Amino acid sequence: MNERDVIVIGGGPAGMAAAIEAALAGLSVDLVEQRPTLGGAIYRQQADGGTSPVQSKMARQRFARLSTALAGISANMRFSSVFLGLDADGFVLIENRQIGRIELIRSRAIIVATGAVERILPRPGSELPGVSTAGGLQVMLKETSRAPQGRVLLAGNGPLLLAVAAQLIRLGNPPAGIVEAGDPLRAAALSNVGLLSHPALLAEAAVYLKDIYRAGTPWFRGTRLTRIEKVDGALQATLCDRHDAVRTILVDRIGLHDGIQSNRIGLPAEQTRTGSAPVVVRAGDCREALGAVAAEADGRRAGLLAVSLLSGIATDISVAERAIARQRQAQALITRSFMPVAGGSHLASLPDETLLCRCEGRTVGDLRQLLDRPDPISDREIKHNGRFAMGLCQGRFCASNVAELVALLRPDASKPTPDGLTGQRWPIRPVSIGALTRAAPEDNCED
Amino acid sequence: MYRRDTLPATNIHLMKSIRLHEISGSPPSTAIVIGSGIVGAATAYYLGKRGVAVHLLEATAPAAEASGAADGAVSVASKRPGTMMTAALRGVALYRDLARDGLLADLYKTRSTFIIAASQAECELLEKHREALLDAGVKAVALSRQALQKRFQVLSPNALMGVEVHDEGHAIGYEIVHRLVKASGAFVHRDTPVREFVEAGGRVAGVVTPKGVMTADAMVIAAGGGSANLLNLDNVLIPRKGQLLVTERAPALNRAMPGAIMSGRYLLSKGSQKGTGALPSRGLGLVIDPLRTGQFLIGGTREDFGDRQTNDIDAVRRILLAAVDLVPGLADVRLLRSFAGVRTAVIDGLPLIGRLPGRENAYVATGFEGDGICLGPLTGKTIAQMICGETPEFDLSDFDPARFMAGKVAA
Amino acid sequence: MNSFRFLSKNIPFNEGESIAAALEAAGIRQFGRDAVGHEIRYFCGIGACQCCLVRIDGVIREACVTPARAGAHIELVGADHE
Repeated sequence: MNERDVIVIGGGPAGMAAAIEAALAGLSVDLVEQRPTLGGAIYRQQADGGTSPVQSKMARQRFARLSTALAGISANMRFSSVFLGLDADGFVLIENRQIGRIELIRSRAIIVATGAVERILPRPGSELPGVSTAGGLQVMLKETSRAPQGRVLLAGNGPLLLAVAAQLIRLGNPPAGIVEAGDPLRAAALSNVGLLSHPALLAEAAVYLKDIYRAGTPWFRGTRLTRIEKVDGALQATLCDRHDAVRTILVDRIGLHDGIQSNRIGLPAEQTRTGSAPVVVRAGDCREALGAVAAEADGRRAGLLAVSLLSGIATDISVAERAIARQRQAQALITRSFMPVAGGSHLASLPDETLLCRCEGRTVGDLRQLLDRPDPISDREIKHNGRFAMGLCQGRFCASNVAELVALLRPDASKPTPDGLTGQRWPIRPVSIGALTRAAPEDNCED
Repeated sequence: MYRRDTLPATNIHLMKSIRLHEISGSPPSTAIVIGSGIVGAATAYYLGKRGVAVHLLEATAPAAEASGAADGAVSVASKRPGTMMTAALRGVALYRDLARDGLLADLYKTRSTFIIAASQAECELLEKHREALLDAGVKAVALSRQALQKRFQVLSPNALMGVEVHDEGHAIGYEIVHRLVKASGAFVHRDTPVREFVEAGGRVAGVVTPKGVMTADAMVIAAGGGSANLLNLDNVLIPRKGQLLVTERAPALNRAMPGAIMSGRYLLSKGSQKGTGALPSRGLGLVIDPLRTGQFLIGGTREDFGDRQTNDIDAVRRILLAAVDLVPGLADVRLLRSFAGVRTAVIDGLPLIGRLPGRENAYVATGFEGDGICLGPLTGKTIAQMICGETPEFDLSDFDPARFMAGKVAA
Repeated sequence: MNSFRFLSKNIPFNEGESIAAALEAAGIRQFGRDAVGHEIRYFCGIGACQCCLVRIDGVIREACVTPARAGAHIELVGADHE
């Protein structure tokens, strides 16, 4: 069988960097990307290939460097292909959507770089049309260079809200407001002098804030979005500030975002022993969500690690590790700046009817009822009998919320982990049965 | 026969001793049930109903093994004629009672099983099997190819004939276990594996666990594969892996299926008929069950040499090819999840249910292979009746563990 | 300009655009209801949440990561699911 050395899953900065390092060391490399283009969500390019007005100059330069380097190596690109997992016999399962078939690939090493997903806290009404993640809005802005029509509200927690606001402004539709659970101005002023050692971050923030200030976009800090309702064909958002003062705002679109977390649900475990089973290394945000710069460095680290594991040649990953450490420090400072200040726990104060798991229609009340017993039930029992993390998204959006809410509801028992709730199973994405019946080792495929 | 020698006796004395209750005669006031799969959960439930204080000791968590990875058939259709078929009939009837009485009302789905033949050999086998079902008093109606197309429109023309076995059902193992454990009132000790027994004068007085020694009047070993270690039955209880699949919801196709499908090959893979020749070491017995949620459960393999809870594309593809062959519409549905479980089988194909030879207060119930969901509640009820000195409502003599243990215990 | 069919409507799109982006530009934000009863709509943009499923020439796909294709026929998954 035609075994390759390395298969890289994901064409974002981590996957691109990993593929480049592995190929430069002479290894044969395949790169698998679910979309028809490279860049991942962070460097999503304008559909027509033109220069997007919403990408920052630095982001454009970083992506251009990666693209040039990748063009200079001989990696086998597999676009419109979705990684389904690693099976018990060591086959890498790839759904090739261009031909509607599952390809079974043998590889000595797998570098998984599936990026991040946004953390979205449950809120009554967040299942409604017109509500998306803020990152989802951003991806579409990058792809189309068009702002969504109507009044847009951005809500949640973290710097991405500011980035999306600035991009909306640049495309001519300033948001109706930014609702931020933290109070980064106050936090930064009080204690966060550490950010001064990250001038690039501060410069980026300054650009966003200048645009937001000029556009007159209200920035509701220390405020939470607690409820969304359909009112007269629009969306009514209920906002609650740190003094529990409540107000409502009528908009057409809402972009939610409460942070970034690794997209690692169901992924095969890391495995760095060489032998009959393939080496598995994770890279980038799916290992630790630290953003694009760290992801690229971590991709290099993972590529070099795979090289040394497969070839026995020592590689130097210290430069990459220092870059990652610096980004980790920066992210910690940002997280501290954006620490929610609004009173009480958002999760603990949710009304029973709030959907925790949209896929299966399971609510906060369902979880409370499930846990209303003297004995601490296991992660798997919570999953099976609450049907949490059992739906189509396989827990990517509910598992961390469920784990945290369980910990709040029974503080004396062991805290569940998102991974404990979801388990490690393939397929890691729902996949057509018809395509599975056409699964074949790729050498047997007739194209 | 018990592993008394694996731990020095002095260690037992050093451990904290939890004396649950004074040992008394029958009916007991306390019981320890080892294993919280469906059999242990049902035993705890029926003991609880009789006023027995039950401690359910579980090596990991309820329904963590075979009961949590079962196909959920509550079915006579596939059973071998004889004791197992009779037992399954009683098992299905008990589910109907439990659903009617409310305990399992929302968890038990009544539906027919359609056994489908797609080859001449399967047709002959199926006709013989239908006679056996009729003899046992089961309503089993033969459907010609034309009748089948009319009754079951999403079925492929590859189906040559079918037998509709009426009044069967489906139950999801982990949901049943959850319900039974909660209703039992038992105290559940998770992550509490039993290492060995404490014996005293022809009784099993207690068990040694990492948390200490626990004692009770009656002991039930329903630990599936874990029973092999506890009872030194490594050559009698064998693992048999099964891989299963669950799809996304597809309500329209789900509604168009008037019942579950079992391929005629299932009878072959399970060896339900004697004289069908050697079984493959990795048999495939296709079942397609339309679930309450609108999803489909599709199974499964029966693998003699597998003991890991993993899925491989070879097995998954073969299961799905067989499924699409009978229900072509499934090709447009997406697979959501694959999983695997390890059933505990007995080498002679019959479970071990009954009192441990030479131990007046200890019972075993394991080795159901793929029939635990169907027979679990019935077994739990029967064991509880035995423990409480009642006449068991079901004759267990064919399942008597003495058939493998008599010699050893006398020694 | 290229176009695909969404139910009975012709939806124009720019080459390389996702189905979700084209539907958004056409003002279509709700793609029927899923089997649980929720309205199907764009959410995460990266194929993870499974909230924007449509049936493209018979195959269920995430609208957000699937490029629009000229002449494709797009239906609601609910057409089968309801």
